[in-house]
Amino acid sequence: MKDWKKIAEANNLAIPDADLDRIRPSLDQLEATFRPLAASIPHEVEPAITFVIPPEAAE
Amino acid sequence: MTILETAHALRARKVSSAELTAAAIESIRQLNPKLNAFITVTEDHARQQAKAADEALARGTDHGPLHGIPVAVKDMFSTKGVRTTCGSALFTNHIPDADAAVVEKLAAAGAVLLGKTGMHELAYGITSNNPHFGAVRNPWDVERIPGGSSGGSGAAVAAGMVFMAMGSDTGGSIRIPASFCGTVGLKPTSGRVSRYGTMPLDFSLDHMGPLARSVRDAALALAAIAGFDKRDDTSSRQPVGKYVPDAAPSIRGMRIGLAHNFYMERIDPDAGAAVLRMAEAAEKLGARVSQVRVPDIAALNTAGRVILLVEASALMERHMNQREKFGPDVLALLDQGRLLPATDYVNAQRLRRVMQREFNQIWSEVDCLFTPTTPMAAPRIGENTVQLGDATDDVRLAATRLVRGINVLGLPALSIPCGLDRRGLPLGLQIVGKAFDEAGVLRVGAALEDATDHHRLTPPA
Repeated sequence: MKDWKKIAEANNLAIPDADLDRIRPSLDQLEATFRPLAASIPHEVEPAITFVIPPEAAE
Repeated sequence: MTILETAHALRARKVSSAELTAAAIESIRQLNPKLNAFITVTEDHARQQAKAADEALARGTDHGPLHGIPVAVKDMFSTKGVRTTCGSALFTNHIPDADAAVVEKLAAAGAVLLGKTGMHELAYGITSNNPHFGAVRNPWDVERIPGGSSGGSGAAVAAGMVFMAMGSDTGGSIRIPASFCGTVGLKPTSGRVSRYGTMPLDFSLDHMGPLARSVRDAALALAAIAGFDKRDDTSSRQPVGKYVPDAAPSIRGMRIGLAHNFYMERIDPDAGAAVLRMAEAAEKLGARVSQVRVPDIAALNTAGRVILLVEASALMERHMNQREKFGPDVLALLDQGRLLPATDYVNAQRLRRVMQREFNQIWSEVDCLFTPTTPMAAPRIGENTVQLGDATDDVRLAATRLVRGINVLGLPALSIPCGLDRRGLPLGLQIVGKAFDEAGVLRVGAALEDATDHHRLTPPA
């Protein structure tokens, strides 16, 4: 499992230890669920949100 | 009475908008101390709008079915000159200088705005137990939550304070209160209703839609607020449909899917039985109901959780040095989002694309899906877990489990009342349709409503 406290410190997030302890189970559960899903995405799939130049930019 | 019935009465001069508005104000006076459904009541503004609506009708100027009808909007829709808090201590004194697009459109349709409804803090939760403005309470049992985040809108409509109230839905926040309060709730397709002038929770999951007493009332509201808006980058140019169902809508031959995986698992048996009864009612009306297998909705929900956590935290990042201004549940979610790496966010959006392709294949088999809206009826205020079969689930995750994925897909979804559980609490049926087929889900909903009348059940006095 990830060390969320070190991640918070490295990102200078100033999240109190008690608050980190409270969210650790949710983050661990999400990590365990999401990691295999992320690994299963076919290489060619692009994100649902992509940058699009609006038509008026060419006018 | 529904909006349609009242609209007829208004035009027959059996009642005036001023009288309807006065009755609504009196109802709010009596019930709001108990339900806390409104954060702000715009009494003077409403009386002026009602007077103008009556004068316009007398002159022969008719703005349509919402003309003169008392409505409300969730306190995250900007209202010019009227405090808009988003249920947050950060915005206690925020007074916008312009109306949200939806508020503009409701005004243009002649609706009378009674005020701003209570909500979960920042629309980020499903209880509407707000640490800054107090808990909104469910009219069916004031010890229970109305759902959220549009809890005040659900409570106000269910209690009969207003005919329709606008909500927003990022992970079920229109459909959950509709289910828990026994009202109709419509989350339109992504891009169908402008988000301009709303206080966002999220960039890619927010949807705006109505809570109402009947399917046709929700359809009337959608007809008033739908359409392209160049001020919203996600707004669709897809033509607006004919949303209000006919007097006797036919669903003969329509293909309705009942998912035999995921949606009927880990639910209260009463919720499952209520959905099956609605499927039987649809069959009696000539629809073809079949079992279908849906893609991995748990994966879809997980992608949705990552997207919401990160986008909401990105939006609120500049306020995170004021930790004391957030309630503990919202702060916990915002902290989680700040700890997720950017790669997870991008991959969640890629997973969304994969799931969208897989889910779209369903539409070759069926025209719409039936699911429970929520796995259970409204929990008690302060309850953090709920028992569903052998499993003990977190209340937030349980309440959003059957609705969150539909936001990720951006599809239209309607929740309609489908009866009461063994304790006498409302349950909801969710009807999910193809992108931009609001007319289809509304037609199915109206046909079932005509056949069953669950929407006429009202909370005990």
